[in-house]
Amino acid sequence: MSRVKIDELQGLEVSVLWHTEGKGDEDLHVHHFQRMSKLKLREIGVENDQSIQCVLPATPLSYHGQLIRLSWCVRMRLYLEDGREIVSESPFYLVSDTQDVPCVASSSEEDVAENASKSTNGVDRQSRAAQTRSALASLRRD
Amino acid sequence: MPRLPMPWSKKRGQRRLGSPSVGVAGEFAFSAATFLSGVFGLSLVLISQYAPQQVPEQVSTEAFSSSLSSWVMGTVSVAALVIGATRLVFRVMHLNASDEMRSVIATKAAALERLAPGQGGEVGLPNVPRGKSITDSPGEHLAFRLPLVVGEAGILGPALLALFWNTAWIILLAVVVSGFWISRPRWILTGLLIPFAFIGRWSFLYFLTQMRQRIGVGPTVVEINEHPLRPGQCYDLFVSQSGRVKLKRLSVELICEEETFYRQGTDVRVERHQAFGQILARHRDVEVDPQVPWEQQLRLEIPANVMHSFAGTHNAIRWKLVVKGESRPWPSFCRNYPVVVHPADSTPNRSPQSG
Repeated sequence: MSRVKIDELQGLEVSVLWHTEGKGDEDLHVHHFQRMSKLKLREIGVENDQSIQCVLPATPLSYHGQLIRLSWCVRMRLYLEDGREIVSESPFYLVSDTQDVPCVASSSEEDVAENASKSTNGVDRQSRAAQTRSALASLRRD
Repeated sequence: MPRLPMPWSKKRGQRRLGSPSVGVAGEFAFSAATFLSGVFGLSLVLISQYAPQQVPEQVSTEAFSSSLSSWVMGTVSVAALVIGATRLVFRVMHLNASDEMRSVIATKAAALERLAPGQGGEVGLPNVPRGKSITDSPGEHLAFRLPLVVGEAGILGPALLALFWNTAWIILLAVVVSGFWISRPRWILTGLLIPFAFIGRWSFLYFLTQMRQRIGVGPTVVEINEHPLRPGQCYDLFVSQSGRVKLKRLSVELICEEETFYRQGTDVRVERHQAFGQILARHRDVEVDPQVPWEQQLRLEIPANVMHSFAGTHNAIRWKLVVKGESRPWPSFCRNYPVVVHPADSTPNRSPQSG
């Protein structure tokens, strides 16, 4: 955490959650939740790197579809003394052990028709793989 | 030399002498006639009670003036009406289903799991539908017989429309007849009877079309050797279509569908998008005979990098096998068999045959 002094903080929440985005109403599920009071924050300090640990569930996996996008993230919510809130998110992909990239739906009806004979999807696998690997560097499903 | 069946003797050989369809049609016609005669009789009784001045003097004063005769006639009419209607509804609701199948459906109805958003997931696999009802029924050729999700228009609606419209028409006919009887004809009502009769005929023919479709396009059976499914795995599939129908096209597809619910004002809307489709079989000019159902062994391969089944509160990802048929003269049909896809590395489930 930078640019915020500890004296300005009233509390902090860290959540590991998944949520959906897209056309439909949002689904959200918090898998891990941690709240730290001002006292606790003074104890541990905010200048140093902190780590959180939680065992991620097997499902739901990250998904990029046409109507639904399912995203995992670590969300941090800072409560300031003046009543303001600052929310910061670090997204990551949750994939199965056999996957390198998150599941992506076919983008068009033509792709769906093409799938009649093929079993892949039309995504930029390499770019996603690179993105995924960096995101997975610190978080892996157990 | 074939022996003629005697009404008082024990039946020998085949328990049925004619076609079951003819029997159903006969029972339907008898029930309809009973119902309509009941409506007609009740209408006459009501007219004689509440509009006695319209009843002809020469005949009906004796027949309807007695309280006892009115009660007898009314009771018989109501009985005929109730019996006819009950038999009709019973017949319509049990078309194309065996006693065993009806029993299974009734047993499962209460326990049938909805693959709907908001359902709790399997232990260790949150937000993945359990799909327990999918593996409830063992198959004949493979391990599981997949349950059908009814998506076709029901026959009850057309049946009720035909029944109520023609009932109303019969009541109006009774009023018109009684008018002519007392020499006070209702010409406007008589004129209206003709277009009303056309509507009644149309509703009845529409009901007959639906009924013929149900009888002609028989049940579709889909069986699979293992469930739940996993990406990257191959499965055996058995598909059978019975009935008496000539299909121009018949296809079996694996489909993954995104389903999302959203509020627009006070309305809750649903939108679906087919995220993945794989044609497993496609045939032309398929002839299905009651004695020789169309049967096919298929190989189903789930691609490696596909999303598992998911059920949230407002969003869902559903997998299903779809059997589509295009036929003449019957309308086309589309039958859905939901399946559950787990993530690739989830713990394998045992099939009932492996103990």
